[in-house]
Amino acid sequence: MPVINVEKRAVHVQELNKGAAETVLLVHGMFSNLSVYYFNIAPILAKHFHVVMYDLKSHGMSEKIADGYDLNSMTDDLSALLDQLELSSVHLAGYSFGGLISLKMAARFPDKVKKLAVIEAPDPNDDKTRDIIDEYSREFLEYYVQHFADTTKSKMGKRQMEKNHRMYEYLFHETSIKSDMIRERDFFSAAEIGHISQETLLLYGASSNCLEAGKTLKKKIKRVELMEVDGDHNVPIQQPVSIGNLMETFFKN
Amino acid sequence: MDTLDSTTKLNSSEIFDLMKQFITEVIGEEFVEEMEITMESSFTKDLEMDSIEIVSFSEKIKTHFGEQIDFTGWLSNMDLDELINLNLGTIVNYIEECQ
Repeated sequence: MPVINVEKRAVHVQELNKGAAETVLLVHGMFSNLSVYYFNIAPILAKHFHVVMYDLKSHGMSEKIADGYDLNSMTDDLSALLDQLELSSVHLAGYSFGGLISLKMAARFPDKVKKLAVIEAPDPNDDKTRDIIDEYSREFLEYYVQHFADTTKSKMGKRQMEKNHRMYEYLFHETSIKSDMIRERDFFSAAEIGHISQETLLLYGASSNCLEAGKTLKKKIKRVELMEVDGDHNVPIQQPVSIGNLMETFFKN
Repeated sequence: MDTLDSTTKLNSSEIFDLMKQFITEVIGEEFVEEMEITMESSFTKDLEMDSIEIVSFSEKIKTHFGEQIDFTGWLSNMDLDELINLNLGTIVNYIEECQ
């Protein structure tokens, strides 16, 4: 299993089409893992690019870490990963929380990011995101899975429910993720968003409750295009081929 | 330890045993003991494998069979319903045909 050491921490990394000249690096969202890209989106991009996916700390098969979930720490992690893989600059794409990490990366390390694709990044000032963390309970998870979770999770059985429950419990109660996220609430109004100079593609679900966040970003980023794809916040799972093709065209041209 | 030569052709029962071994390594022996794994077992419903576990499973196939079998490519051509209903027998047949 490709688990590598980055700054003495175990990070699960998957790579496709290693010989290609340019790299696309994909960042997944909170409570998810690299499999959101692995089966559909990554193979589309790998027709032309070297594709790198990794599991964020405490997610997927990467090591559990108690702190450092603010965007500075998350981008320090990503920067160290790029150094470790000897990638001086990459096209970067992130989904949801991964979209926030990608925006921060483009702002903090402009030399390391060529083009930027942001999928469904939420506004951290939106209370709904933090409400999920505040109201979490086992009952909440069961209700959430039944009514809102993506289609791949809707078939969740006992073992998966337990596994997910353990992950949520760990992240909510044993890490600093909650307080770190609250500290990021002004991220969209920070001057650094306006300084992002990379060509940027914003991909949002047409019926997503995050679409407003996309429109906010469109006003603030200089070289930007916003595209709406049929679906909601789970659009990479609902429309993986559309999302993959749009990113492929964007990064290629 | 004996390692299988990648050019050795496995029959369907040998492939089934190998897949069962991979599944056990991915989800853990304690869970496998509680369930009966058959050719009809579906990945998501019966084995309750989530997508990151299917990534691990795919990696094991890749490591074992190498370039000979494009398992991830095969999966990526399936739609969500096909993936949800995917059973072990279909995978065993696919690997048998690819060899």
